[in-house]
Amino acid sequence: MGAALAALAMAVALLVGRPHAARAADDATQTQIETDLTCQCGCGLTVHACNHLNCSSGIPLKEEIAQQIASGRSRSDILSYFQTKYGEKILSSPTATGFNLAAWTVPFAAIAVGGVIVALALARWRRTTPGAAAESTAAGPAPVTDPALRARLDSALEDFERRS
Amino acid sequence: MTEIGRLAIVLGWIVALWGIAASVAGALRRDRTLIASGSHAAFAFSAATGIAVAALLDLLVTRDFNVEYVAAYSSSTLPLWYTIAALWGGMKGSLLWWTFILAVCNAIVQVQNRRKNRDQMPWVTATMLAVGAFFLSLLVFVTDPFERLPFTPAEGSDLNPLLQNYWMTIHPPSLYVGYVTTTVPFAFAIAALATGKLGDAWIRTTRRWAIFSWFFLTLGNLFGAAWAYVVLGWGGYWAWDPVENAAFMPWLTATAFLHSVMIQEKKDMLKVWNMVLVILTFALTIFGTFLTRSGVISSVHSFTQSGLGPFFMGFLLVILAVSIGLLVWRLPLLKSRSELESVFSREAAFLLNNLVLVGIAFTVFWGTVFPVLSEWVRGVKITVGPPFFNRVNAPLALVLVFLMGVGPIIAWRRATWRSLRRSFLAPLAAGVVAGAATLLFASGANFYAAVAFSVAAFALATVASEFWRGVRVRREMMGEAPWTALSRLIGKNRRRYGGYIVHVGTAMVFIGIVASSIFKVEVQKSLAVGQSVDVAGYALRYDGIKANEDAHVARTAAVVSVFERRGDELVRVGTVEPEKRFYKKPKQPTTEVSIWSTLGADLYVVLGSYDPETRTAVFQAFLNPLISWMWIGGVVMALGTGICMWPSYAERTATADARVPVGSRAAP
Repeated sequence: MGAALAALAMAVALLVGRPHAARAADDATQTQIETDLTCQCGCGLTVHACNHLNCSSGIPLKEEIAQQIASGRSRSDILSYFQTKYGEKILSSPTATGFNLAAWTVPFAAIAVGGVIVALALARWRRTTPGAAAESTAAGPAPVTDPALRARLDSALEDFERRS
Repeated sequence: MTEIGRLAIVLGWIVALWGIAASVAGALRRDRTLIASGSHAAFAFSAATGIAVAALLDLLVTRDFNVEYVAAYSSSTLPLWYTIAALWGGMKGSLLWWTFILAVCNAIVQVQNRRKNRDQMPWVTATMLAVGAFFLSLLVFVTDPFERLPFTPAEGSDLNPLLQNYWMTIHPPSLYVGYVTTTVPFAFAIAALATGKLGDAWIRTTRRWAIFSWFFLTLGNLFGAAWAYVVLGWGGYWAWDPVENAAFMPWLTATAFLHSVMIQEKKDMLKVWNMVLVILTFALTIFGTFLTRSGVISSVHSFTQSGLGPFFMGFLLVILAVSIGLLVWRLPLLKSRSELESVFSREAAFLLNNLVLVGIAFTVFWGTVFPVLSEWVRGVKITVGPPFFNRVNAPLALVLVFLMGVGPIIAWRRATWRSLRRSFLAPLAAGVVAGAATLLFASGANFYAAVAFSVAAFALATVASEFWRGVRVRREMMGEAPWTALSRLIGKNRRRYGGYIVHVGTAMVFIGIVASSIFKVEVQKSLAVGQSVDVAGYALRYDGIKANEDAHVARTAAVVSVFERRGDELVRVGTVEPEKRFYKKPKQPTTEVSIWSTLGADLYVVLGSYDPETRTAVFQAFLNPLISWMWIGGVVMALGTGICMWPSYAERTATADARVPVGSRAAP
């Protein structure tokens, strides 16, 4: 169940947006490239978000991005250019290659592992619960097997739950 | 005054050490005198740290610049309110403030438990004093807040201008209260492990403390977001900065605990897991302090950076070693009932909720430390910025909000198809309608926006249906009027319905985050006086510049008229005055945004630059839709939490009874 949850979340993540290195679309807009790059002034914001007065990093970077776009280069080419010039730290998120792939996959893998543990725990708890599973042979009150009685019990418990 | 302050922290440290020794020895030897002495030490510790705080405040307010801390974080022209806030504006003061809050909590815990939890209390006292002693040892041996300079500067360096904001006067104290109060459940968990009394008593005792802590962590995070929004001037409120992440992680694990503890209370399950969550939450607060003060990871919020990182890392390792050691030792006693009738039950939904919350906490942790990991493994510096956190956490947040809707309406124990159909049909319909409406009517909406509004509408509808059903039942059974039924429904089950109100607030915050992220409009333009710029249904007209200054700060404000487009007409609705400031003592310029705020959107205006010769100004304007829902959602969350914490009539009566001396009670 949890693994499925993680897979679902991963799928939605891929739909919402993929790491830039994996993108096929090369829509090199100023805003997008500015968002893909981190300002080097120490503010921790993307080039797009940094609005420090006369920022010694953000303003030249914005101008450089504009020049790159004007030269007709694709988004991935522009990002490669900045990565080569300033180092990998200028990218606002890790590339989806090599060791950096761990940044993207480990969270979902961890949730999937957690999900498997939760699923196993749920399955084990169900096995030890009288009346929860048909195959249960655990000691305790006899399970309610009569469908009519079961329905009445469920109805009464639902009513109790609703009123409590 | 420095001598008094210094003496107070030294005495406080000695008293804390005595309190720890007396409490542990008293517990082991069952010596009531020693236990009482440990408890008295907790009060003395509070008094000592209180005196130290008062001394530092006095030095700040009297502007004694011979004291290094006062000279570094205040000035003669700093307004009184910010001078007081300078107490937590620097590293030394914030450590003292932290210790003081912890000491006060310790004293309150002593009073609350003077007639109960007697076996556990020595361990609680010792744990809380140990944490306090660690903080005070830093102040006594490493970084003295009362250090005097060899000379007296004529003027102080002033408080960082970014901290001279009203949100900064309440954000750190709220966050510190949230952080510090996680120590109480942690101390009781340690006490339960130490004594082997691992029933529900420690959970019941710390329930309100856990909610209280969560409440202040929530406020601290929201106040911090509000501060970033109005001060940093980039149009947003959350940048996934390491320090922001450090405050967010304990909130996530504390939220997980507040849910999973219900399963322990109702079903006697998850005892080990709840212990883990309490330990993890406390450890994350120390990890956050390590991040803030170590400089290991660069942060825009590191106003209190220092060389204390190794001490906090060492303390964190000790906490984890002791906690995990105790937990492993007591595992045989932590056997829970392990019964689950159906995966279609509230228990299973809460487990999934825990998985997602802890999953998000891990994701935030992973993203925060990954740059350090990359440097270790590859020797390459990388950045893990907002685009990473947004992409990875967005789908998890969707799942979480969906589960927030499922939790309240799925039955405990076992849900039948009939009950699922009856409970979920209307909320699911509301979700589908909201998603479709988003796609059809919201300009610029995408798949993510539709899903996000859909799950938010589903979560709100489930709460609405719960209230509606509850009111209907009371009206049928008691014949009450609707408002009476509603108030009594909440009053008689505060925890449950208070929790639902918290869910409403959370959904509102979520809606505000989604709308202001996806539908944000941004415009930047250079204007001459009299010129206008359109911003998505609004227009801004630059009317001129006004300037003023005092001894502290020089201000240059642009006067900008705000017009709203109504049909073909532009109607003037108000004025905003974004500023450039120049703080004279630190010689630092800042940008002060001005916001035209409505329920529908914030028009957020920044004065980028100004040319005095041509009188032209560059403006940056953001339209942030529904962002006020975030702040209103925060108020709703606070209201719900208040309802959860407010004692019921039965509890108040029990407390009042407990206060009446036995001999004075009337005979039955």
